[in-house]
Amino acid sequence: MRMSSSRPKEGNRGKMKMEGVEGDASAGGAVRYTLNPTRISSEDILFCVDVDAESLLEMKTAGVTRLDSIKQAILVFVNSKLSINPDHRFAFATLSKSASWLRKEFSSDVESTIAAVRALSATTVSSSQADLTNLFRLAAHEAKKSRAQNRILRVILIYCRSSIRPHHQWSVNQKLFTLDVMYLHDKPGPDNCPQAVYDALVDALEHVSEYEGYIHESGHGLPRTLFRFMSMLLCHPQQRCPQDDCDIPKPLVKKAAEPANGEDNVHASISR
Amino acid sequence: MSFDGFPPFISAQLHYLINHFHEKIKVEQVSSGGKTYAGGLDRFTLHIPYCLDYVKWDIIYNAEFPFASPDIIFGPEDEDFHPLHMTGSVGEGGSKFRNILSDWNHKDPTRLLALIQELRDQYMAYQKKRVGEVDDDRLTFEISTICSREGIEMQISSGAEKPKEVKFAVPLMDMNINKMVHGFPWRHPQKIYLQVIYPVGKKYSSTPSPPRLKLMSTAELGALFSIEDVKLPSWLDGMCMAEYLPHLEESLQKQVVESVSLIDVRRRFIESLTPLFGRPLEADPVFCGKATFLASSGSFVFLVHFLISTQFPKQRPAVMLQSSQHISPQGIPKKSPLLSEYPWSPRWEASQMAERIFDFLVDESLNFKRFCNESQPQH
Repeated sequence: MRMSSSRPKEGNRGKMKMEGVEGDASAGGAVRYTLNPTRISSEDILFCVDVDAESLLEMKTAGVTRLDSIKQAILVFVNSKLSINPDHRFAFATLSKSASWLRKEFSSDVESTIAAVRALSATTVSSSQADLTNLFRLAAHEAKKSRAQNRILRVILIYCRSSIRPHHQWSVNQKLFTLDVMYLHDKPGPDNCPQAVYDALVDALEHVSEYEGYIHESGHGLPRTLFRFMSMLLCHPQQRCPQDDCDIPKPLVKKAAEPANGEDNVHASISR
Repeated sequence: MSFDGFPPFISAQLHYLINHFHEKIKVEQVSSGGKTYAGGLDRFTLHIPYCLDYVKWDIIYNAEFPFASPDIIFGPEDEDFHPLHMTGSVGEGGSKFRNILSDWNHKDPTRLLALIQELRDQYMAYQKKRVGEVDDDRLTFEISTICSREGIEMQISSGAEKPKEVKFAVPLMDMNINKMVHGFPWRHPQKIYLQVIYPVGKKYSSTPSPPRLKLMSTAELGALFSIEDVKLPSWLDGMCMAEYLPHLEESLQKQVVESVSLIDVRRRFIESLTPLFGRPLEADPVFCGKATFLASSGSFVFLVHFLISTQFPKQRPAVMLQSSQHISPQGIPKKSPLLSEYPWSPRWEASQMAERIFDFLVDESLNFKRFCNESQPQH
C-alpha cells in the first residue's frame, strides 16, 4: 500500500516509500554534503505519546502492543541520542483527547526516562478526537525557555489512531519548535482512513515546524520497522536535509554485491 | 547549585558571588555555627582560584546576627595576611576593604562578591610584597623583568618539610584564541598559562638551575589541542624568563595556528565519509571531533560513531558501533568496543581513508550483528 499525499506540497513528502523496502540507497537530488562551521544547539526533546486505546493493539509480534514497542523505541532513542551528545534532554507528555504532561522537567538522566516510560499507560476508552493545539502551546512555552539556554526544542509525536484525524489551531507565524511524527496504523480498509490521518499529520508538521520535520509511518506492525524509523529521527534538526533527500541508513555491503533490497539474503548454496 | 538550609540573606549573597565571580569558586564544608540549627547554615569554606591553584578561606556569618559582616579565616600559611592593616600604596586597598566591612548591608546580595574580590586583590598584593622581600638575587632580577606583564599572579609556598618556593602563574599570548575558531565555540575566553616555580634561598656561584615549568590551560581548550602535547622549548643555561617567554609564546602561537588548521582537515574527513555512510545524524561542526552515522547490514540497523582526535591524521579515528535494536532491560544498547584495527596511512586522500574504513566496517558489522544476536534476539 502506498501512502501519498493528496495535497500539493513543496517537497515530495507525501510520496512515502513502499513499505518493506529498507535501505534505499538512492540519493534523490542529493547535494554534496558540507559540514558548515556553525554552532548547533543541544536539544530539548518532548515526546508526546498517543495513549488512546488503539495504542494497545498488538504488533505483529504476539503479546507486544504498540505501546510496548513505543516504550522500547523511546528507550533506545534516548540512549542513542545521549551517546551522540550527553547534553540532550528529554521530557514526556501524553495525547488522548488533548495533550497533557507526563514528566515536565527536561532531563538527560536515563533513570528518570526509564521511570517516565514505565508510567506510560493507555486510556481504556477511545477518544473521539485528537486536538494538538494544547501540545503546541506547551511546546511553544517550553521552547522559549530552551532558547534562553541556547537550546532548541523538538516535539516527537507518536500517533496510533487509524481513523481519528488530529486537528489543531495555530498561528502560521509561530514556528518555535521542530515537529517530527511517527505514525503507527492499521492496514487501510473500508472502516478506516490512515491516509487522511497521515495527510493531517503532514499538514500539522508543515504548519508548525521550525526546522525540517520528518514523518514516518508504518502499518505492518513490525517493531523493528518502528525502531528503524525512530533511529532516523535521531537526525539533529539543524543539520537535516529535506526528507525526500534522506539516504540513510546506508547499507554496509561490499560495493560489488549490493542486494536489491536490504533484507538478509538467503543464498542457496551452489553445488559444484 | 542550590543552597538549601542557608537563611535567605546568606543564600542571596552566595548565589551572587558564584554567578558573577570571573572564575569558578567552590563552596565546601558547609555548617552551622549555632548551638541549635534554628538559624540555619552560616559557615562555609570558599575555594578561590589563585595562581593556578586555590586559596581556601573560611567564611563565618552569624545567622542569629545578620547585621554583622562575616568573619574570614585565611589559611595557616597566611598568618601574616592582614588586609585591614595594609599600608603604603596597598593601604588604599586596605581602606577600601575597611569600608566594605563598616558599610556592611546584609540585604545587599552584591556585598559578598565585593568583599571577596577586594580581599583577593589584597591577597595578590600581599603575595607580591612577600615575594619581593625574598633574599634571592636571581629571583629579584626575574621578578623585575616580568612584573610588567599583565595578569601575573605569584605565591610563596613553604611547609614544614618543603623548601621555600616561589610560584608564578604567567598568562601567555595576547592572541584571542576564541576568535580564531569559526563558530564561536566557547562562552568563556580560553587562556594558556605558564606555571613557573623557583626554589628560594639557595645561592649558586655557578649558573643557577632552571625553574620548574608547566603549561596549563582552561579546560575547554582541549577540544582544539591538548596542552600536554606541547613540547616546551628548552631552558638554556643562564636564561631568564624575560628571554624564555617570548620564545615560548612564538612556539605556542604556531601550535595554535596549526591546531586551528587541523580542524578543517577533520572537517574534510567527515565530509568524505558521506558518499559511503550517508549524511551523519549529527556531527560536531566547530571542532569536528566526532560524527555519528546510521548504517544497516541487512535488516540490522545501527549507529556508527567516529571519534577523531586532535592528533588526526597522524592518529586514526576510533570507531564504535551501537545497535538500535538490542537493549538490556535497563535500556542500555549493545555497543562494540572502540575499533581501530583497520588499515591506515595519514598520507592517504580523505576519500581513500573513508573507503578503507568502510570496507573494514562491512566485515566488522557482521561480527557485531552476530554478537548482538547471540546475547538476545533482535526485536
